[in-house]
Amino acid sequence: MVPVVKISNLDKFFGHLHVLKNISLEVAERQVVCLIGRSGSGKSTLLRCINFLEEPSHGSIEVDGIIVAGGEKGSKHRQLVHDVRLKTGMVFQEFNLFPHMTVLENVIEGPVIVKGMDKKKAIELGEENLDRVGLLFKKDEYPMRLSGGQKQRVAIARALTMEPRVMLFDEPTSALDPELIGEVLNVMQKLAKAGMTMLVVTHEMGFAREVADRVLVMSEGEIIEDAKPSDLFNNPKDPRTKALIDRYRSGEQ
Amino acid sequence: MHIFTGKQDTSKSQAELLYDIQLRKERQFRANVALSWFVLLAILIFAFSGASITIGSTTYSGIQVDTQFIRDNLSFIAGGLGETIRISILSILLAMALALLAALGRLSTVPPIYALSTFYVSLIRGTPLYLQIFFFFLALPQLGIVLSGLVSGVLALGLNYGAYMSEIFRAGLSSVGKGQREAAMAIGMTPTQTMRRVILPQALRFAIPPVGNEFIAMTKDSALVSATGFVHELMWRATKVGRAQFHNLEALIMAAIFYWIVTLLLTYVQSIIETRLSKGDR
Repeated sequence: MVPVVKISNLDKFFGHLHVLKNISLEVAERQVVCLIGRSGSGKSTLLRCINFLEEPSHGSIEVDGIIVAGGEKGSKHRQLVHDVRLKTGMVFQEFNLFPHMTVLENVIEGPVIVKGMDKKKAIELGEENLDRVGLLFKKDEYPMRLSGGQKQRVAIARALTMEPRVMLFDEPTSALDPELIGEVLNVMQKLAKAGMTMLVVTHEMGFAREVADRVLVMSEGEIIEDAKPSDLFNNPKDPRTKALIDRYRSGEQ
Repeated sequence: MHIFTGKQDTSKSQAELLYDIQLRKERQFRANVALSWFVLLAILIFAFSGASITIGSTTYSGIQVDTQFIRDNLSFIAGGLGETIRISILSILLAMALALLAALGRLSTVPPIYALSTFYVSLIRGTPLYLQIFFFFLALPQLGIVLSGLVSGVLALGLNYGAYMSEIFRAGLSSVGKGQREAAMAIGMTPTQTMRRVILPQALRFAIPPVGNEFIAMTKDSALVSATGFVHELMWRATKVGRAQFHNLEALIMAAIFYWIVTLLLTYVQSIIETRLSKGDR
Protein backbone atom coordinates (compact mmCIF):
# COMPACT_ATOMS: atom_id res chain seq x y z
CA MET A 1 0.00 0.00 0.00
CA VAL A 2 1.16 3.51 -0.73
CA PRO A 3 2.13 5.28 2.50
CA VAL A 4 0.32 8.51 3.43
CA VAL A 5 3.51 9.99 4.82
CA LYS A 6 6.96 9.10 3.58
CA ILE A 7 10.03 10.77 4.96
CA SER A 8 13.27 10.07 3.11
CA ASN A 9 16.79 10.79 4.34
CA LEU A 10 15.73 13.82 6.30
CA ASP A 11 18.34 16.03 7.92
CA LYS A 12 17.73 19.15 9.95
CA PHE A 13 20.34 21.56 11.23
CA PHE A 14 19.83 24.48 13.55
CA GLY A 15 23.03 26.37 12.85
CA HIS A 16 25.71 23.79 13.62
CA LEU A 17 23.35 21.67 15.67
CA HIS A 18 22.41 18.46 13.85
CA VAL A 19 18.94 17.82 15.31
CA LEU A 20 17.60 15.25 12.84
CA LYS A 21 20.01 12.73 11.38
CA ASN A 22 19.13 11.01 8.13
CA ILE A 23 15.62 10.01 9.12
CA SER A 24 13.49 7.79 6.91
CA LEU A 25 10.00 6.79 7.86
CA GLU A 26 6.79 5.56 6.27
CA VAL A 27 3.34 5.82 7.78
CA ALA A 28 0.59 3.76 6.19
CA GLU A 29 -3.01 4.85 5.92
CA ARG A 30 -5.06 4.49 9.14
CA GLN A 31 -1.91 3.93 11.16
CA VAL A 32 -1.45 5.63 14.51
CA VAL A 33 2.20 6.32 15.25
CA CYS A 34 3.40 7.68 18.57
CA LEU A 35 6.76 9.41 18.85
CA ILE A 36 8.36 9.29 22.26
CA GLY A 37 11.71 10.37 23.59
CA ARG A 38 13.35 12.78 25.98
CA SER A 39 12.96 16.48 25.38
CA GLY A 40 15.52 17.62 22.87
CA SER A 41 15.53 14.27 21.10
CA GLY A 42 14.10 15.86 17.94
CA LYS A 43 10.61 14.35 17.98
CA SER A 44 8.76 17.70 17.77
CA THR A 45 11.13 18.96 15.10
CA LEU A 46 10.51 15.83 13.03
CA LEU A 47 6.75 16.35 13.29
CA ARG A 48 7.07 20.05 12.37
CA CYS A 49 9.18 19.16 9.35
CA ILE A 50 6.28 17.17 7.91
CA ASN A 51 4.17 20.29 7.34
CA PHE A 52 7.21 22.55 6.91
CA LEU A 53 6.76 24.63 10.03
CA GLU A 54 10.42 23.72 10.13
CA GLU A 55 12.13 23.62 6.76
CA PRO A 56 14.14 20.38 6.48
CA SER A 57 17.76 20.95 5.55
CA HIS A 58 18.07 17.91 3.26
CA GLY A 59 15.90 14.99 2.25
CA SER A 60 12.30 14.91 1.23
CA ILE A 61 8.80 14.70 2.60
CA GLU A 62 5.98 13.00 0.77
CA VAL A 63 2.39 13.41 1.89
CA ASP A 64 -0.38 11.71 -0.06
CA GLY A 65 1.70 11.62 -3.22
CA ILE A 66 3.02 15.18 -3.06
CA ILE A 67 6.79 15.10 -2.83
CA VAL A 68 8.61 18.15 -1.45
CA ALA A 69 12.37 18.36 -1.24
CA GLY A 70 13.76 20.12 1.80
CA GLY A 71 16.07 23.13 1.77
CA GLU A 72 14.68 24.67 -1.40
CA LYS A 73 13.26 28.08 -2.13
CA GLY A 74 11.10 29.72 -4.78
CA SER A 75 7.45 29.87 -5.72
CA LYS A 76 7.23 26.26 -6.89
CA HIS A 77 8.51 25.07 -3.54
CA ARG A 78 6.08 27.36 -1.71
CA GLN A 79 3.21 25.95 -3.73
CA LEU A 80 4.19 22.38 -2.84
CA VAL A 81 4.50 23.29 0.84
CA HIS A 82 1.05 24.86 0.66
CA ASP A 83 -0.35 21.68 -0.91
CA VAL A 84 1.21 19.56 1.83
CA ARG A 85 -0.25 21.79 4.52
CA LEU A 86 -3.71 21.26 3.07
CA LYS A 87 -3.22 17.52 3.49
CA THR A 88 -2.02 17.74 7.10
CA GLY A 89 -3.87 18.84 10.21
CA MET A 90 -1.77 20.14 13.07
CA VAL A 91 -2.59 20.27 16.77
CA PHE A 92 -0.22 22.28 18.97
CA GLN A 93 0.75 21.97 22.58
CA GLU A 94 -0.49 25.51 23.27
CA PHE A 95 -3.72 25.09 21.23
CA ASN A 96 -3.12 28.35 19.30
CA LEU A 97 -6.79 29.05 18.73
CA PHE A 98 -7.50 32.46 17.22
CA PRO A 99 -8.69 34.48 20.24
CA HIS A 100 -10.56 37.07 18.18
CA MET A 101 -12.81 34.49 16.55
CA THR A 102 -15.60 32.37 18.03
CA VAL A 103 -15.20 28.63 18.22
CA LEU A 104 -17.12 28.11 14.98
CA GLU A 105 -15.24 30.92 13.22
CA ASN A 106 -11.97 29.30 14.28
CA VAL A 107 -13.07 26.02 12.79
CA ILE A 108 -14.33 27.32 9.44
CA GLU A 109 -11.56 29.91 8.90
CA GLY A 110 -9.29 27.51 7.01
CA PRO A 111 -11.90 25.93 4.73
CA VAL A 112 -13.45 29.30 3.82
CA ILE A 113 -10.35 31.47 3.51
CA VAL A 114 -7.75 28.97 2.34
CA LYS A 115 -9.80 26.45 0.39
CA GLY A 116 -12.49 28.88 -0.75
CA MET A 117 -15.22 26.56 0.46
CA ASP A 118 -18.78 27.82 0.41
CA LYS A 119 -19.47 29.28 3.85
CA LYS A 120 -22.68 27.31 4.36
CA LYS A 121 -20.95 24.06 3.56
CA ALA A 122 -18.03 24.98 5.82
CA ILE A 123 -20.40 25.70 8.72
CA GLU A 124 -22.09 22.36 8.19
CA LEU A 125 -18.76 20.57 8.17
CA GLY A 126 -17.45 22.61 11.09
CA GLU A 127 -20.49 21.90 13.23
CA GLU A 128 -20.20 18.22 12.42
CA ASN A 129 -16.59 18.21 13.64
CA LEU A 130 -17.41 20.26 16.74
CA ASP A 131 -20.03 17.65 17.48
CA ARG A 132 -17.40 14.92 17.09
CA VAL A 133 -15.28 16.53 19.80
CA GLY A 134 -18.39 17.15 21.92
CA LEU A 135 -18.32 20.94 21.79
CA LEU A 136 -21.05 21.94 19.38
CA PHE A 137 -22.84 23.71 22.25
CA LYS A 138 -19.83 26.05 22.61
CA LYS A 139 -19.75 27.12 18.96
CA ASP A 140 -20.55 30.79 19.63
CA GLU A 141 -18.18 31.21 22.57
CA TYR A 142 -14.79 32.87 22.36
CA PRO A 143 -11.78 30.66 23.17
CA MET A 144 -11.07 32.74 26.29
CA ARG A 145 -14.14 31.20 27.93
CA LEU A 146 -13.09 27.60 27.38
CA SER A 147 -11.03 25.32 29.61
CA GLY A 148 -7.70 24.07 28.32
CA GLY A 149 -9.17 20.68 27.44
CA GLN A 150 -12.03 22.31 25.55
CA LYS A 151 -9.61 24.57 23.69
CA GLN A 152 -7.58 21.61 22.57
CA ARG A 153 -10.70 19.78 21.40
CA VAL A 154 -11.68 22.84 19.38
CA ALA A 155 -8.17 22.89 17.93
CA ILE A 156 -8.65 19.25 16.88
CA ALA A 157 -12.00 20.13 15.27
CA ARG A 158 -10.32 23.04 13.47
CA ALA A 159 -7.67 20.75 12.03
CA LEU A 160 -10.27 18.12 11.06
CA THR A 161 -12.42 20.65 9.20
CA MET A 162 -9.58 21.07 6.71
CA GLU A 163 -10.25 17.40 5.88
CA PRO A 164 -6.61 16.35 6.17
CA ARG A 165 -5.17 13.00 5.16
CA VAL A 166 -3.02 12.87 8.26
CA MET A 167 -3.21 14.50 11.67
CA LEU A 168 -0.07 15.70 13.45
CA PHE A 169 -0.22 16.12 17.21
CA ASP A 170 2.62 17.97 18.92
CA GLU A 171 2.40 17.10 22.62
CA PRO A 172 -1.33 17.82 22.65
CA THR A 173 -1.81 17.25 26.39
CA SER A 174 1.44 18.68 27.79
CA ALA A 175 -0.02 22.11 28.56
CA LEU A 176 -3.12 20.73 30.25
CA ASP A 177 -4.01 20.31 33.90
CA PRO A 178 -3.94 16.59 34.74
CA GLU A 179 -7.71 16.33 35.14
CA LEU A 180 -8.27 17.70 31.60
CA ILE A 181 -5.94 15.31 29.79
CA GLY A 182 -8.46 12.48 29.63
CA GLU A 183 -11.07 14.32 27.55
CA VAL A 184 -8.49 15.18 24.89
CA LEU A 185 -7.05 11.67 24.77
CA ASN A 186 -10.58 10.29 24.43
CA VAL A 187 -11.24 12.44 21.40
CA MET A 188 -7.94 11.32 19.89
CA GLN A 189 -8.73 7.69 20.56
CA LYS A 190 -12.11 8.08 18.87
CA LEU A 191 -10.40 9.66 15.92
CA ALA A 192 -7.94 6.76 15.68
CA LYS A 193 -10.80 4.27 15.78
CA ALA A 194 -12.52 6.15 12.97
CA GLY A 195 -9.49 5.39 10.83
CA MET A 196 -7.59 8.68 10.83
CA THR A 197 -3.88 8.43 10.10
CA MET A 198 -2.10 10.03 13.03
CA LEU A 199 1.38 10.99 14.17
CA VAL A 200 1.48 11.85 17.84
CA VAL A 201 4.39 13.31 19.78
CA THR A 202 3.53 12.51 23.37
CA HIS A 203 4.62 11.72 26.89
CA GLU A 204 1.38 9.83 27.55
CA MET A 205 2.62 6.26 27.71
CA GLY A 206 -0.85 4.90 28.47
CA PHE A 207 -2.14 6.41 25.23
CA ALA A 208 0.84 5.08 23.25
CA ARG A 209 0.34 1.61 24.66
CA GLU A 210 -3.39 1.43 24.04
CA VAL A 211 -3.97 3.40 20.89
CA ALA A 212 -0.78 3.36 18.83
CA ASP A 213 -0.07 0.80 16.13
CA ARG A 214 3.59 1.71 16.27
CA VAL A 215 5.76 3.53 18.74
CA LEU A 216 8.93 5.27 17.60
CA VAL A 217 11.59 6.12 20.12
CA MET A 218 13.85 9.04 19.30
CA SER A 219 17.16 9.93 20.82
CA GLU A 220 19.64 12.57 19.70
CA GLY A 221 18.00 13.09 16.33
CA GLU A 222 17.66 9.42 15.41
CA ILE A 223 14.91 6.85 15.56
CA ILE A 224 16.42 4.23 17.81
CA GLU A 225 13.47 1.91 17.98
CA ASP A 226 10.32 1.34 15.92
CA ALA A 227 8.01 -1.37 17.22
CA LYS A 228 4.51 -2.38 18.18
CA PRO A 229 3.68 -0.96 21.60
CA SER A 230 3.30 -4.39 23.21
CA ASP A 231 6.80 -5.40 22.08
CA LEU A 232 8.34 -2.05 22.88
CA PHE A 233 6.96 -1.71 26.38
CA ASN A 234 7.46 -5.33 27.33
CA ASN A 235 10.84 -5.87 25.84
CA PRO A 236 12.65 -2.79 24.73
CA LYS A 237 15.68 -3.67 22.63
CA ASP A 238 17.71 -0.52 23.11
CA PRO A 239 18.93 0.26 26.63
CA ARG A 240 17.98 3.93 26.05
CA THR A 241 14.39 2.88 25.39
CA LYS A 242 14.41 0.83 28.55
CA ALA A 243 15.73 3.77 30.55
CA LEU A 244 13.02 6.02 29.07
CA ILE A 245 10.22 3.59 29.87
CA ASP A 246 11.53 3.03 33.40
CA ARG A 247 11.58 6.77 33.92
CA TYR A 248 7.94 7.05 32.87
CA ARG A 249 6.96 4.09 35.03
CA SER A 250 8.49 5.65 38.10
CA GLY A 251 6.78 8.92 37.24
CA GLU A 252 3.39 7.28 36.94
CA GLN A 253 3.49 5.84 40.42
CA MET B 1 -25.98 26.25 51.66
CA HIS B 2 -26.02 23.87 54.56
CA ILE B 3 -25.52 20.40 53.27
CA PHE B 4 -27.86 18.77 55.78
CA THR B 5 -30.65 21.28 56.23
CA GLY B 6 -30.67 22.63 52.69
CA LYS B 7 -31.28 26.11 54.11
CA GLN B 8 -29.77 29.20 52.58
CA ASP B 9 -26.90 30.43 54.68
CA THR B 10 -27.67 34.08 55.43
CA SER B 11 -24.50 35.16 57.21
CA LYS B 12 -21.65 36.23 54.99
CA SER B 13 -18.28 34.58 54.93
CA GLN B 14 -15.16 36.32 56.18
CA ALA B 15 -13.94 36.90 52.64
CA GLU B 16 -17.22 38.47 51.58
CA LEU B 17 -17.14 40.81 54.57
CA LEU B 18 -13.60 41.90 53.80
CA TYR B 19 -14.58 42.46 50.19
CA ASP B 20 -17.54 44.60 51.28
CA ILE B 21 -15.32 46.75 53.47
CA GLN B 22 -12.89 47.20 50.60
CA LEU B 23 -15.73 48.12 48.26
CA ARG B 24 -17.14 50.67 50.71
CA LYS B 25 -13.72 52.28 51.12
CA GLU B 26 -13.33 52.59 47.35
CA ARG B 27 -16.77 54.12 46.97
CA GLN B 28 -16.05 56.61 49.75
CA PHE B 29 -12.79 57.58 48.10
CA ARG B 30 -14.45 58.14 44.73
CA ALA B 31 -17.19 60.26 46.32
CA ASN B 32 -14.59 62.45 48.01
CA VAL B 33 -12.65 62.89 44.80
CA ALA B 34 -15.83 63.91 42.98
CA LEU B 35 -16.62 66.45 45.69
CA SER B 36 -13.11 67.92 45.52
CA TRP B 37 -13.40 68.19 41.74
CA PHE B 38 -16.62 70.09 42.18
CA VAL B 39 -15.02 72.52 44.64
CA LEU B 40 -12.05 73.13 42.34
CA LEU B 41 -14.41 73.77 39.45
CA ALA B 42 -16.45 76.18 41.58
CA ILE B 43 -13.28 78.09 42.51
CA LEU B 44 -12.27 78.28 38.85
CA ILE B 45 -15.69 79.55 37.82
CA PHE B 46 -15.68 82.05 40.68
CA ALA B 47 -12.24 83.30 39.65
CA PHE B 48 -13.59 84.41 36.31
CA SER B 49 -17.06 85.43 37.41
CA GLY B 50 -16.35 88.98 38.51
CA ALA B 51 -18.30 88.31 41.70
CA SER B 52 -16.75 89.01 45.07
CA ILE B 53 -16.91 87.26 48.38
CA THR B 54 -15.96 88.56 51.83
CA ILE B 55 -14.46 86.19 54.31
CA GLY B 56 -13.75 87.94 57.65
CA SER B 57 -12.19 91.29 56.82
CA THR B 58 -10.82 90.34 53.40
CA THR B 59 -12.75 90.58 50.20
CA TYR B 60 -11.86 88.30 47.30
CA SER B 61 -13.08 89.31 43.90
CA GLY B 62 -13.03 87.32 40.71
CA ILE B 63 -11.70 88.61 37.42
CA GLN B 64 -14.25 90.59 35.51
CA VAL B 65 -14.83 89.14 32.04
CA ASP B 66 -16.84 90.85 29.36
CA THR B 67 -19.97 88.72 29.18
CA GLN B 68 -21.33 90.78 26.32
CA PHE B 69 -18.28 89.85 24.23
CA ILE B 70 -18.78 86.20 25.12
CA ARG B 71 -22.43 86.27 24.08
CA ASP B 72 -21.61 88.06 20.82
CA ASN B 73 -18.85 85.69 19.79
CA LEU B 74 -19.99 82.36 21.21
CA SER B 75 -21.49 81.04 18.01
CA PHE B 76 -18.55 82.27 15.93
CA ILE B 77 -15.98 80.43 18.04
CA ALA B 78 -18.20 77.36 18.45
CA GLY B 79 -18.35 77.24 14.65
CA GLY B 80 -14.72 76.12 14.71
CA LEU B 81 -15.52 72.88 16.52
CA GLY B 82 -16.48 71.08 13.34
CA GLU B 83 -13.23 72.07 11.64
CA THR B 84 -11.17 71.02 14.66
CA ILE B 85 -12.82 67.62 14.68
CA ARG B 86 -12.50 67.27 10.91
CA ILE B 87 -8.75 67.95 10.99
CA SER B 88 -8.30 65.55 13.88
CA ILE B 89 -10.17 62.70 12.21
CA LEU B 90 -8.42 63.11 8.86
CA SER B 91 -5.03 63.35 10.57
CA ILE B 92 -5.55 60.34 12.83
CA LEU B 93 -6.58 58.24 9.82
CA LEU B 94 -3.42 59.24 7.97
CA ALA B 95 -1.37 58.72 11.13
CA MET B 96 -2.75 55.22 11.67
CA ALA B 97 -1.97 54.17 8.12
CA LEU B 98 1.58 55.55 8.35
CA ALA B 99 2.13 54.11 11.82
CA LEU B 100 1.07 50.67 10.64
CA LEU B 101 3.37 50.82 7.62
CA ALA B 102 6.25 52.07 9.76
CA ALA B 103 5.63 49.31 12.30
CA LEU B 104 5.57 46.63 9.59
CA GLY B 105 8.73 48.14 8.15
CA ARG B 106 10.34 48.03 11.54
CA LEU B 107 9.63 44.29 11.73
CA SER B 108 10.92 43.68 8.22
CA THR B 109 14.12 41.76 7.64
CA VAL B 110 14.81 43.64 4.39
CA PRO B 111 17.42 46.31 5.26
CA PRO B 112 16.15 49.15 3.00
CA ILE B 113 12.59 48.75 4.29
CA TYR B 114 13.73 48.64 7.90
CA ALA B 115 15.92 51.68 7.24
CA LEU B 116 13.10 53.61 5.57
CA SER B 117 10.90 53.02 8.58
CA THR B 118 13.47 54.04 11.20
CA PHE B 119 14.61 57.01 9.07
CA TYR B 120 11.07 58.35 8.86
CA VAL B 121 10.46 57.96 12.58
CA SER B 122 13.79 59.56 13.48
CA LEU B 123 13.42 62.53 11.11
CA ILE B 124 9.87 63.34 12.19
CA ARG B 125 10.48 62.86 15.89
CA GLY B 126 13.63 64.95 15.65
CA THR B 127 11.87 68.10 14.39
CA PRO B 128 9.06 70.22 15.88
CA LEU B 129 5.49 69.71 14.76
CA TYR B 130 5.13 73.48 14.39
CA LEU B 131 8.04 73.50 11.95
CA GLN B 132 6.55 70.61 9.99
CA ILE B 133 3.23 72.43 9.53
CA PHE B 134 5.05 75.50 8.22
CA PHE B 135 7.27 73.36 6.04
CA PHE B 136 4.28 72.03 4.15
CA PHE B 137 2.49 75.37 4.06
CA LEU B 138 5.30 77.87 3.52
CA ALA B 139 8.36 75.98 2.28
CA LEU B 140 6.84 73.70 -0.32
CA PRO B 141 5.39 76.57 -2.42
CA GLN B 142 9.01 77.56 -3.14
CA LEU B 143 9.27 74.23 -4.97
CA GLY B 144 6.04 74.90 -6.79
CA ILE B 145 3.92 72.75 -4.52
CA VAL B 146 1.13 74.82 -3.07
CA LEU B 147 -0.98 73.13 -0.43
CA SER B 148 -3.98 74.57 1.35
CA GLY B 149 -3.79 75.20 5.07
CA LEU B 150 -6.00 72.23 5.77
CA VAL B 151 -3.97 69.82 3.62
CA SER B 152 -0.69 71.09 5.09
CA GLY B 153 -2.06 70.70 8.59
CA VAL B 154 -3.41 67.21 8.03
CA LEU B 155 -0.19 66.06 6.32
CA ALA B 156 1.99 67.44 9.10
CA LEU B 157 -0.18 66.13 11.94
CA GLY B 158 -0.59 62.75 10.23
CA LEU B 159 3.13 62.36 9.54
CA ASN B 160 4.04 63.50 13.02
CA TYR B 161 1.59 61.34 14.94
CA GLY B 162 2.26 58.43 12.57
CA ALA B 163 5.91 58.47 13.62
CA TYR B 164 5.03 58.46 17.31
CA MET B 165 2.27 55.90 16.92
CA SER B 166 4.42 53.43 14.99
CA GLU B 167 5.72 52.27 18.35
CA ILE B 168 2.16 51.46 19.46
CA PHE B 169 1.51 49.37 16.37
CA ARG B 170 4.86 47.65 16.67
CA ALA B 171 4.03 46.66 20.24
CA GLY B 172 0.63 45.46 19.02
CA LEU B 173 2.15 43.32 16.30
CA SER B 174 4.73 41.83 18.65
CA SER B 175 2.03 41.09 21.22
CA VAL B 176 0.63 38.42 18.91
CA GLY B 177 2.42 35.21 19.75
CA LYS B 178 4.41 33.10 17.31
CA GLY B 179 1.94 30.25 17.85
CA GLN B 180 -0.75 32.28 16.09
CA ARG B 181 1.38 32.58 12.97
CA GLU B 182 2.18 28.88 13.08
CA ALA B 183 -1.47 27.91 13.50
CA ALA B 184 -2.37 30.06 10.49
CA MET B 185 0.47 28.59 8.43
CA ALA B 186 -0.53 25.06 9.43
CA ILE B 187 -4.01 25.50 7.95
CA GLY B 188 -2.38 26.70 4.75
CA MET B 189 -2.73 30.46 5.00
CA THR B 190 -0.39 32.57 2.90
CA PRO B 191 1.70 35.21 4.72
CA THR B 192 -0.73 37.91 3.51
CA GLN B 193 -3.77 35.99 4.74
CA THR B 194 -2.02 35.34 8.04
CA MET B 195 -1.32 39.05 8.47
CA ARG B 196 -4.80 40.19 7.45
CA ARG B 197 -6.93 37.56 9.15
CA VAL B 198 -4.92 36.59 12.23
CA ILE B 199 -2.15 39.02 13.21
CA LEU B 200 -3.63 42.43 12.35
CA PRO B 201 -7.04 42.02 14.02
CA GLN B 202 -5.32 41.08 17.27
CA ALA B 203 -2.66 43.78 16.97
CA LEU B 204 -5.24 46.49 16.23
CA ARG B 205 -7.31 45.44 19.19
CA PHE B 206 -4.26 45.82 21.36
CA ALA B 207 -3.63 49.25 19.82
CA ILE B 208 -7.11 50.75 20.22
CA PRO B 209 -6.72 52.23 23.73
CA PRO B 210 -3.35 53.93 23.09
CA VAL B 211 -4.54 55.17 19.68
CA GLY B 212 -7.48 56.72 21.53
CA ASN B 213 -5.02 58.61 23.71
CA GLU B 214 -3.19 59.86 20.66
CA PHE B 215 -6.44 61.01 19.09
CA ILE B 216 -7.29 63.03 22.18
CA ALA B 217 -3.84 64.61 22.15
CA MET B 218 -4.23 65.34 18.45
CA THR B 219 -7.50 67.27 18.83
CA LYS B 220 -5.51 69.70 20.95
CA ASP B 221 -2.44 69.82 18.75
CA SER B 222 -4.74 70.62 15.83
CA ALA B 223 -4.74 74.14 17.29
CA LEU B 224 -1.27 74.58 15.76
CA VAL B 225 -2.82 74.45 12.30
CA SER B 226 -4.39 77.84 13.04
CA ALA B 227 -0.92 79.26 12.47
CA THR B 228 -1.40 78.86 8.73
CA GLY B 229 -4.16 81.42 9.02
CA PHE B 230 -6.40 79.62 6.59
CA VAL B 231 -8.06 76.91 8.65
CA HIS B 232 -10.98 78.28 10.61
CA GLU B 233 -10.89 75.93 13.55
CA LEU B 234 -11.40 76.78 17.24
CA MET B 235 -8.04 78.35 17.91
CA TRP B 236 -8.00 80.44 14.74
CA ARG B 237 -11.46 81.83 15.51
CA ALA B 238 -10.61 82.56 19.14
CA THR B 239 -7.45 84.46 18.30
CA LYS B 240 -9.14 86.31 15.44
CA VAL B 241 -11.94 87.84 17.51
CA GLY B 242 -9.73 88.10 20.60
CA ARG B 243 -7.10 90.19 18.83
CA ALA B 244 -9.52 92.31 16.86
CA GLN B 245 -11.40 93.48 19.92
CA PHE B 246 -8.60 93.10 22.47
CA HIS B 247 -10.57 90.48 24.33
CA ASN B 248 -8.03 87.66 24.17
CA LEU B 249 -8.83 86.63 27.73
CA GLU B 250 -12.48 85.89 27.03
CA ALA B 251 -11.82 84.41 23.60
CA LEU B 252 -9.14 82.01 24.83
CA ILE B 253 -11.20 80.96 27.84
CA MET B 254 -14.04 80.09 25.49
CA ALA B 255 -11.78 78.07 23.22
CA ALA B 256 -10.26 76.34 26.25
CA ILE B 257 -13.71 75.33 27.48
CA PHE B 258 -14.55 73.84 24.09
CA TYR B 259 -11.30 71.88 23.92
CA TRP B 260 -11.82 70.65 27.45
CA ILE B 261 -15.37 69.49 26.77
CA VAL B 262 -14.29 67.66 23.62
CA THR B 263 -11.46 66.01 25.56
CA LEU B 264 -13.79 64.94 28.36
CA LEU B 265 -16.25 63.46 25.89
CA LEU B 266 -13.53 61.59 24.02
CA THR B 267 -12.03 60.29 27.26
CA TYR B 268 -15.45 59.02 28.25
CA VAL B 269 -15.99 57.28 24.91
CA GLN B 270 -12.54 55.76 25.17
CA SER B 271 -13.19 54.38 28.64
CA ILE B 272 -16.34 52.69 27.35
CA ILE B 273 -14.43 51.12 24.46
CA GLU B 274 -11.69 49.99 26.81
CA THR B 275 -14.09 48.27 29.23
CA ARG B 276 -15.78 46.54 26.35
CA LEU B 277 -12.47 45.34 24.91
CA SER B 278 -11.24 44.06 28.25
CA LYS B 279 -14.31 41.85 28.58
CA GLY B 280 -13.04 39.82 25.66
CA ASP B 281 -16.07 40.13 23.42
CA ARG B 282 -16.30 42.34 20.41
